[in-house]
Amino acid sequence: MARAPVLWDLPVRLFHWSLAALVVFSYITAKVGGTWMDWHLRSGYAILALLLFRVAWGAVGSSTARFSTFVRGPRIVLSYLRETSAGRRPDVVGHNPAGGWMVVLMIVALLVQAATGLFSDDEIATQGPLAVKVSNAAVSRMSTIHSWNEWVLVTFVVLHVVAIVVYHRVLRVNLVGPMLHGRGLPGIELAAPRNAGIAAVLFAIACGAVYWLVVVYPRSGAA
Amino acid sequence: MKKTAIAAILSLAATAVVAQAPQVKPEDHIKWRQSAYSVMGLHFGSLAAMAQDKKPYNKEEAIRDADFVALLATEPRNHFGEGTDKGRDTKAKPEIWQKRSDFDSKMDKMVSETGKLPQVARNGDLAALKAAVGETGKACKACHDEYRQK
Repeated sequence: MARAPVLWDLPVRLFHWSLAALVVFSYITAKVGGTWMDWHLRSGYAILALLLFRVAWGAVGSSTARFSTFVRGPRIVLSYLRETSAGRRPDVVGHNPAGGWMVVLMIVALLVQAATGLFSDDEIATQGPLAVKVSNAAVSRMSTIHSWNEWVLVTFVVLHVVAIVVYHRVLRVNLVGPMLHGRGLPGIELAAPRNAGIAAVLFAIACGAVYWLVVVYPRSGAA
Repeated sequence: MKKTAIAAILSLAATAVVAQAPQVKPEDHIKWRQSAYSVMGLHFGSLAAMAQDKKPYNKEEAIRDADFVALLATEPRNHFGEGTDKGRDTKAKPEIWQKRSDFDSKMDKMVSETGKLPQVARNGDLAALKAAVGETGKACKACHDEYRQK
């Protein structure tokens, strides 16, 4: 069965919108606290699984999903920014060089948040599943990073939304539509997307890994 | 001359007696409030684990935990006086002394919520205990969010 070329394949789109929803949910549940902390942790586990999947998909997924496609060096990034601000925005299929680095930074910041969360303790009634495996000093450090990294994430999310708005209003490029339906602008050459079944398997493996990390490993007596 | 001398000596002696009223070092105040919170955390953690179905509910244990939490909750308020912002490593933020009445009212709220736990634990209703634990946690968080360093 021939697959119609898409700009953003289904796995990337599902990943993006699930992640956005979960990050908002994680933020809200942390602010409310109390009995919602259980949901905050579950949301964090789901985010961790999504991120692990995305890193794997970034290696073997469709061309526009691969880090090797959109993560470019400083000269190319600067050239792209220069050309764009001069009104000669270069044609790019998928993430442009500036946006590509934003993707990396966001994934890294979210991985830091999810990882430190596993070891954090809010000193009220909630601690991450791996807090018991490390020293109190380590838990304290991880909790502090988890707290301060919140502001890094908020900044990135705000920048992200502002950038989308700027692209829409100023550069007249709708970036939301393609991330929803996957189709690019007419006339752009696209490769056929990678089989989504592979993505499903990778995601299942990621979920299994997270399950082991947060359920099985803490119960084991191992250090 | 002699009366003046005796009066002078007695005055000095009186000053010395007054000056020897027991002084508590700020670092001890910090240590005691931290200790109270720490043991409170042990017992509140135990209640929270039962409330979150992470360990089996045991009524006697819950009563003991609740009693500890309620009593210990009344200790820290005695140890946030002037000058206790330093002397020992502390996560107490300077805002405590800048916005003292708000801090005090949050402290009162915490004491009042924890004060409900012993009776709730004695009633033996796990659902009510879960709700009370949730409300207490919110009171802890309200103060931590503003007055405790992250």
